Amino acid sequence: MTEIAAKPGGEPILAKLQQFAVPIALVALMAVATAVQPSFLSPNNLQDILTQAAPLALVVLGQAFVILVRGLDLSVASLMASVAVLATAFNATSDAMIPVIFAAAIVVSALVGLINGLLVTKRNVSPFLATLAMMIVLQGVRFYYTQGSPSGSLPEGFRFLGAGQILGLPVNVLAFALCFGVLGWLLHKSSFGRKIYITGGNPAAADLVGIRSDRVIIACYMVSSVMAGIAGLFLVGFVGTVDNWVGRGYELDAIVACVIGGVALTGGRGTLWGAAAGALILVLIFNIVIILGLPVQAQLMIKGLIIIIAAALFARAQKA
Amino acid sequence: MIRLDGITKVFPGVKSLDNVTFEARAGEIHALLGENGAGKSTLIKTMAGAYIPEAGTIEFDGERRAWSLPKEAKDAGIHIIYQELMLFPEMTVAENIFIGEAPRGRFGLIDYRTMYARAAEALDRLGHHLDPRALIKDLSVADQQMVEIAKALVGDTKLLVLDEPTAVISGREAELLFDRVKRLRDQGVCIIYISHRLEEIFAIADRVTVLKDGQYVGTREIGDLNRDQLVAMMVGRELADIFPVKKGPHADTAPVLTVRDLQAPPKVKDVSFDLYPGEILGLAGLVGAGRSEVAHAIFGSMPRTDGAVTLGGEAFNTPTPRAAIDRGLGFLTEDRKGEGLMMLLDMAANVTAPVLPEFTTPLGLDRGHEILAAEDEIRRFRIAIPGPKYGVKQLSGGNQQKILFGRWTRACRRVLILDEPTRGVDVGAKVEIYEIIRKLADEGVGILVISSELPEIVGLCSRVLVMREGLITGEVTGGDINEETIMQYATASAGADAA
Amino acid sequence: MAHIESADGASGPAIRPIRRLPLDPSLIIVVLLLAAVVIAGFTLSDRFGTLRNFTNVLEQAAALGFASLGQALVVIVGGIDLSIGAIVTASTVLMATVVELHPALMIPMIFGTLAFGAFIGFINGYVTIKTGVHPLIVTLGTASILNGAVLIFTLQPTGGVPFWFEEFAYGRIGGVMPISGLVMLLSFALAWGFLRYTPTGRAFYAVGGSPEAARLTGIRSNRITLMAYSASGFFAAMAGAYFVSRTGVGDPRVGDPITLASITPVILGGLILGGGKGNILGVLLGVFLISLLSNLLNYMNVSTFIQWVIQGLIIIFAVSIYVHKGKKL
Repeated sequence: MTEIAAKPGGEPILAKLQQFAVPIALVALMAVATAVQPSFLSPNNLQDILTQAAPLALVVLGQAFVILVRGLDLSVASLMASVAVLATAFNATSDAMIPVIFAAAIVVSALVGLINGLLVTKRNVSPFLATLAMMIVLQGVRFYYTQGSPSGSLPEGFRFLGAGQILGLPVNVLAFALCFGVLGWLLHKSSFGRKIYITGGNPAAADLVGIRSDRVIIACYMVSSVMAGIAGLFLVGFVGTVDNWVGRGYELDAIVACVIGGVALTGGRGTLWGAAAGALILVLIFNIVIILGLPVQAQLMIKGLIIIIAAALFARAQKA
Repeated sequence: MIRLDGITKVFPGVKSLDNVTFEARAGEIHALLGENGAGKSTLIKTMAGAYIPEAGTIEFDGERRAWSLPKEAKDAGIHIIYQELMLFPEMTVAENIFIGEAPRGRFGLIDYRTMYARAAEALDRLGHHLDPRALIKDLSVADQQMVEIAKALVGDTKLLVLDEPTAVISGREAELLFDRVKRLRDQGVCIIYISHRLEEIFAIADRVTVLKDGQYVGTREIGDLNRDQLVAMMVGRELADIFPVKKGPHADTAPVLTVRDLQAPPKVKDVSFDLYPGEILGLAGLVGAGRSEVAHAIFGSMPRTDGAVTLGGEAFNTPTPRAAIDRGLGFLTEDRKGEGLMMLLDMAANVTAPVLPEFTTPLGLDRGHEILAAEDEIRRFRIAIPGPKYGVKQLSGGNQQKILFGRWTRACRRVLILDEPTRGVDVGAKVEIYEIIRKLADEGVGILVISSELPEIVGLCSRVLVMREGLITGEVTGGDINEETIMQYATASAGADAA
Repeated sequence: MAHIESADGASGPAIRPIRRLPLDPSLIIVVLLLAAVVIAGFTLSDRFGTLRNFTNVLEQAAALGFASLGQALVVIVGGIDLSIGAIVTASTVLMATVVELHPALMIPMIFGTLAFGAFIGFINGYVTIKTGVHPLIVTLGTASILNGAVLIFTLQPTGGVPFWFEEFAYGRIGGVMPISGLVMLLSFALAWGFLRYTPTGRAFYAVGGSPEAARLTGIRSNRITLMAYSASGFFAAMAGAYFVSRTGVGDPRVGDPITLASITPVILGGLILGGGKGNILGVLLGVFLISLLSNLLNYMNVSTFIQWVIQGLIIIFAVSIYVHKGKKL
């Protein structure tokens, strides 16, 4: 992917390290995992990890778009669960309904993103609060609809989407690859992507070079919501059952992954590669915790430590 | 009162002050004058203990001092009012005046009654009456400045430094400020007044010290100098060498931009003018007169409420920046860092931002094409940068400005509005930028130059519009263009409104 | 002409009459909403408008009150604390576990727990200052670490405290005034006095309003930031103690909803994320508003789920009404 981020003039060592921090961390983690459990690198295990990582990674891609324009999307997890409930509302049994369900999910998600974006741009609500409120509203609507316990069923085909394979490759990983390709092109190759970086880096300048930054920001919120909606459907397929909390915690994990991957909360800095790698790092860490025989809850502690350390390192590198 | 001797301050790679000597007395207003980058701010910060000099001595109030913290200088009686006012908008006038040292009553709690009373006293001493209970955010910038000065008065301030205080207030407010400052001088306070505006220096200062390129040029009684001598001290060469030859607009052409009865409240009340191809038209006036707002309203980055604009003969009445750019109108902002450059992106992305469609193919942005275009601009404007893929943050002001010229001349070939085109740029780069402007005009671009630096307006423009309080109050052409005439129109003193 | 002002300045354009409102304008909205809820309550429900109901609400509002107070202090200095819920949880578990093992330590552990909360808050502040990382991330990280530690320790409610400690939550002075509610009100009163009448309190606003200006005017902004985060942790632990008092156990999930809940009253009270502004009494009114509203909706048999929707809409409503330019989080 083309690097349009500026090369700094005299490059401090830290800044250089920062460029490679993400791949280094990835390799180091894999090495650790392999050292503890040699079978880690087996195709089967890698496949499992990727299958696990895919739904989160889908959300992370969208989150990265929002963070790049100085935003934050806390509503993604709530949206994932809402979309999952929506999918069951069709009570469909035939796989032929899957495209319809996807279409409905994407439309609803896009609408949610539109509202988030409008609140942030037109009403000047802080992204944190706008998407927080959206998260709570979606949660209320969802629970009211299901009265606390979702019923309804999904077509069999969802299981295949969430956990199945094509030619030995997990379906949801292929879906991720497709989304990554499309969004990567959009962000790093298209003029829309350039507008995202300009808007995120300097909104005032964006307006003066004729970029409608409001529209760019709204579009980013829509990308985030649509990715969350798609991720919700794949996650439901992976988990196999719908409940009101599908994807719980993904909003924070997605932000953590972006930060680990070098997408700066201050906007305009970071790549889709980094964000996706951040997601992978996070899932790897979760896995290593399991491999090491630590309690699952240790994942939380390590996640907490890692986000602070990663953010501190990037903050320092940027200052230098 | 204060005496600095042989001060040298080195920043990585740059000698910001080189063996500078400066001395100011109690009860005088001493102007510190110099171009941008001459070292004025560094010298002030050295006085204030914010910088520690590599060499030299500071003597204050009869004692040798070596500050290691700003607080020490402050406690000794040095008070500095920076351009960026150090006020808290959500707090009252009195609280701001006493920030950090509020009068205490019982149990060490803040005694608001005493605080309001003493704040009123300090404002009295200044002769400026403000409600001490008013919130800062409800005050005009000029009143806020008075609060800053009042802050100095509640401490035992012996030396008051004002760093370009008139940059943010109108001419009328400036006169009020001068009056207040003189009043303080008469009370025995030593005042150092930093500015690069000559007219102000003559209006207020008793003595003047000039710095140039980090070096001490000299100190004079203001009565011993005339403008030209002062300019010569500041610039170090004759004005004639700086500006290119003046030419009028291209003959027999229709105006490329017409503006009729433009209104954009609150700053733009009624503005009409024509701009011709090849013309360099100046728009002068005091800061706050509404000049930048005229530019924004034409360009579409600020809403108009009324008026008719034509661009290249066609009506341009539903403006957006996008539409303006597409019709060949470019706007180079005065705020290079805040609204101009994208510091996180490389030079090439900075150049092509307004014309992304030109580089867009069905496969996305054509990066190769973009780089070539950026390389063109590097050559054309002799920008000192290793290549188009490098960042713009570390570049000098002049090179940054040239990148913006690259951006706008590539995008827009009809009209360029240049707002403070040489702000924060050193003399050498200024000369280059003036040549660029001349060359663009020769190529047929209509250019509107907004500038607070009168010598620049006088030296560059073949016709000058003067604004005051949202109206065009005068138009000067040819040989009539001089600083005095412009100032007359810019301040109320001309009496008659030309508009 | 304009500047005819005489030197003695008895009159002149510089004096601008400042329009005075009887009430801090940022409080108007919360006061109006509160009035609306109370009027609706009296109209729509027989049980709402009784002294007994109001004291019950005050008692139940204590936890939200403590959490919001802490959150407000951090928000005033320009930060945000997403670790409040985790501190609440950890405090309940810490207190209940230790006291179950050594019942004699009940009273020292009250202070110990508060100190623990303050210490976690201090760490939040310290890391924020030292690393320059956004407080959102720092406190999120701390929350994750704390929650993980607690959940490794126990997945079930655990521990126990002497029965008399129940008095903190349920006790009534004169059979009317709930002790917990009173402590909460006193905390707000103290915080209000502190913010208004001490130089350090004023410095909270200065640091939140403009950290750079605060630094250059000689305010020790780092120290203020540390104080704010420590106070937030302290009050979170206070909320934790309240929960232990109510339930008698340490619950590894009890704090989960508190973090986000603590933000709503802060926003309703007219504080802005970004800092430097706002009256802490507005936050108290926000706490009342939320508590009374939920009380009323319960009487009206409105489901929790609809209440969530209403809560979300209130946040959007509140922040859309105060349009704040520039400062964002």
